[in-house]
Amino acid sequence: MGFAQTIWNGLKSFANKNLFMKKLKILFVILCSGFLANAENPPKREDKLATFFMGRVKYSSNDGRDCGGVGEDLMKLVSRASTIKIQEERQVKLAEALLFEAPFVFMNGHNDFVLTEAELQNLRKYLGHGGFVFGSGCCTNPEFPKAWRREFSRIFAGESVKALSYDHLIYRSFYKIDRVKCLDKPRDIQLEGLFYQGNLVAVMCEDGLCCSFSANNTCNDGKGISPNDGQKLALNIAVFALTH
Amino acid sequence: MRSIIFDFPLVLPIGLALTFVLLGWSIWNFRKRGLSKWRIALLATLRGATLLFLVFLASRPVGVEKQREQKESKNILLLVDKSQSMSLEENEQTRYQRVIDFTRKHLLPGLEEAKFKVQPFLFAEDAGPSDGSKLVAAKADGKRSNLGRAIARALESSPNALAVIALTDGAANEKSENMRALSALLDSRVRFIGIGFGSDTGVKMLSLQQVEAPPIAAPNTRFEITAHLETMNVDDLPAFDLVLLRDGNFLQKKTVAASSGSRFWLENFRVEEKSEGAHNYEIQLLPPNIPGLASAGTTGSAAVRIASERELRVLYVQGALTWDYKFIAMALHGDPTIKLTGLTRTSSKSVFRQNVENAGELLDGFPKTIEGIAPFRVIVLSNLRPTNLSPEQQELLGKFSGELGGGVLMIGGPETFDSSWRDSRLEQLLPVVFSEGGGVQGLDRPFQLELTDEALQHPLFQISDSGSQRQTWNKVPKFHQYGRVDSAKPGAQVWALHQTDDGPKGRRILMASQHYGSGLSAILTVQNFWLWRLAKDSEPQEFDRFWRQLFRYLAESSRQDVAIHVADQELRPDADVRLVLEKEPSPKDVTASKAKFIARVEDAQKKILAEQSVELPTGRPVDFSFHAGKAGLYTVSILNELKQPVATRSIEIRDVNIELQNSARNMENLRQWASLSDGLALRVEDCRDGAELFAQLKPKLEQARQTPRVRVPIGVNGWTFAFLLGSLSLEWGLRKRFGMA
Repeated sequence: MGFAQTIWNGLKSFANKNLFMKKLKILFVILCSGFLANAENPPKREDKLATFFMGRVKYSSNDGRDCGGVGEDLMKLVSRASTIKIQEERQVKLAEALLFEAPFVFMNGHNDFVLTEAELQNLRKYLGHGGFVFGSGCCTNPEFPKAWRREFSRIFAGESVKALSYDHLIYRSFYKIDRVKCLDKPRDIQLEGLFYQGNLVAVMCEDGLCCSFSANNTCNDGKGISPNDGQKLALNIAVFALTH
Repeated sequence: MRSIIFDFPLVLPIGLALTFVLLGWSIWNFRKRGLSKWRIALLATLRGATLLFLVFLASRPVGVEKQREQKESKNILLLVDKSQSMSLEENEQTRYQRVIDFTRKHLLPGLEEAKFKVQPFLFAEDAGPSDGSKLVAAKADGKRSNLGRAIARALESSPNALAVIALTDGAANEKSENMRALSALLDSRVRFIGIGFGSDTGVKMLSLQQVEAPPIAAPNTRFEITAHLETMNVDDLPAFDLVLLRDGNFLQKKTVAASSGSRFWLENFRVEEKSEGAHNYEIQLLPPNIPGLASAGTTGSAAVRIASERELRVLYVQGALTWDYKFIAMALHGDPTIKLTGLTRTSSKSVFRQNVENAGELLDGFPKTIEGIAPFRVIVLSNLRPTNLSPEQQELLGKFSGELGGGVLMIGGPETFDSSWRDSRLEQLLPVVFSEGGGVQGLDRPFQLELTDEALQHPLFQISDSGSQRQTWNKVPKFHQYGRVDSAKPGAQVWALHQTDDGPKGRRILMASQHYGSGLSAILTVQNFWLWRLAKDSEPQEFDRFWRQLFRYLAESSRQDVAIHVADQELRPDADVRLVLEKEPSPKDVTASKAKFIARVEDAQKKILAEQSVELPTGRPVDFSFHAGKAGLYTVSILNELKQPVATRSIEIRDVNIELQNSARNMENLRQWASLSDGLALRVEDCRDGAELFAQLKPKLEQARQTPRVRVPIGVNGWTFAFLLGSLSLEWGLRKRFGMA
């Protein structure tokens, strides 16, 4: 009995040891796979060496999700045209302090909006300190551009949103753009901007620019700007913001 | 009568013994060879005579004239110092009054008793004969002390004098005629006897020694006017005021806090001018009311030309577009004097140029030739890797900074300050040693720039007009990342450190600079430095001011095309001012090896005192001098062929009271004069009465009456040489004839 018991205990112990090793191996494989997965796809939020930051603005009642992929697409455009390391877009509220860590913010929408006093105050400081706002109406909806002009003209006393003629540097900051034809109307596409102390600090396009460079203009088919022109314009705006 | 003595008398018996041994050995040798007796005698005589004469010379025979009393004169030349340092009051009596008392009570009675005849002289910068009434009536107000000239003048008038007795504090500040005086003392065998007056520590003193200012400053940029102050022998110095005048009008006042003990220190006035022009800044010291406090100087001035650089171009080279460039460009936006040119690599094969001067500029990327890089004064390297700059381009950067005097700034974070730069040519010129491992990455926590004390004092970091600079810099927002470097190089100036991260040699350096050849190099290891300007609570104008000042600082060394150096000399009224002009290798003009300039000297009233054309080969110093007739501010300008100033330097000639600069008694000076003439140096307090004094003086005066024995070496002449040569030649000729040679 004693001998049999000893044999039995030994076998049980061996079995337990095997189980333990097995568990250890599984854990090792999980850890390794996780590590490899991380190595292949490092989380973009940790990429602090990136030089191009972009904030996607949540403003007024807008949650910053109109045309969802537009921010990512703009950053891809920038990275394609240069050696800049990009970071994924961050959602920032106009009234938050986080706004002051994103030197370039993008805001778009379909609808009318009114900026709160806190948002206006923050924007005034943000633009005065060197921040840049790129605005775009979605799908040539006139409500957003109209509101943008009105609200942005409230930021600085004596400064209102103006059309940017084609001799402005922004049309030559990367691509040389002589003119961009509107797809559905007999006119040229016109960027509009707000100046502060002679510096262009905010730019907006009313003709569904974000739809053309991001969604291949599928949501705005036959209207506004062609995807090719849209990509050029968007890149010029980003490079202008980076260099002026 | 002359007698002969031997300096080495022991040589005589030893030499004679050796001579006889050698002669004996020679005779034995000659006999062994079978020479006849008369031949042996002839050879031995010649050889013996030669050896005996050599032994005689080796014992150093000297002919000495017998002592005899020669000087019949009983003249004593008495030199009394009447320079201004003798007017200093100690123990309620000036040094000069003490001299007169001492002469009257102790010195003269003793000398007269011993029948010496005293010839008094008064001296300061010059010397002249005097008498008792003049001595008493004289004022100690001489501008300088020239003891050498006084000795020489006195000996000229009485070369047979027994001794020169000088009553002085020994603080001689003119030494141009010391050699002449020493020769006169030795030639006439006159003893110098110095009696020192005054305290060994000097009097209470507070002086403004010098005023310093940059020769050129840009409008709207802060610069400093610095007063060099010195206090000596004042135990407790109360607070006192310094006043700054600009072109004769009050500008600022500063109260210097109370202090204790002797010290030398600097006090700064911060000045900023809005428009171009030239101004004279004068600092006046208003000494506190302390009894007996003297000042060697209470005013000083400096001239500053306020001028915008005609061309301060900055080349900003980036491995990729960065936000730093945008924000720095914004900082320079309101300053038309600094032009920023951007050169950015946008892909592996394309570059992006901004603000170039012409279509061809920088078309092929970073310059490859000195001509390509020369138009710029500062090069900024941002987010670059060694692969972005070839070794030749790095070498070019070294020449740009080291030889052309350009500034190089490397800015970026971990990707820029990377171990791949180690041992590169670029690393050689930068002020830090790159880290091998780069430290532990990914653990960055928000940190704040911590400026060193030197930085907080430096005009470069003066970015706010109100409040303390430390408080202003503490308001700069926190950053997240930085590049890690190991240490500063010897001679580098560290400006900012990380608050907590330690490297192998102390806290991690975030900003540093160093001189490299004739230029400057600097590093800023903070990633995303632009966060400062964008931050919600920041003041953008402080960021802007920092960058403008940084670029001007980096370009500073190459701002003047011609360097004007003042040669080592004493700057004083009525003297020639010697300058050295040197044309710097100019970033704008690298091909011209020499050029013609006009050197112009103006006084404070802008009156032209001298104008002369000079040819200045690049890098070769050329001497230039002008006469400064009186105290004041002189401006030396170097004009180009279009008569535009390319360099200016103001030189202040101060009528400094040199007499009060070193007011302590200088016994060492008196001892040196005494030892060279076999004389004596005494402190006046060691001469308690006339008898004691005369007991010390008498032996020296008696010695002076004896002329020394005259020593004339014997045998050192041509006859001796001829005798030795003749006897040796004859001996050799005979040996040859006898078949022995």
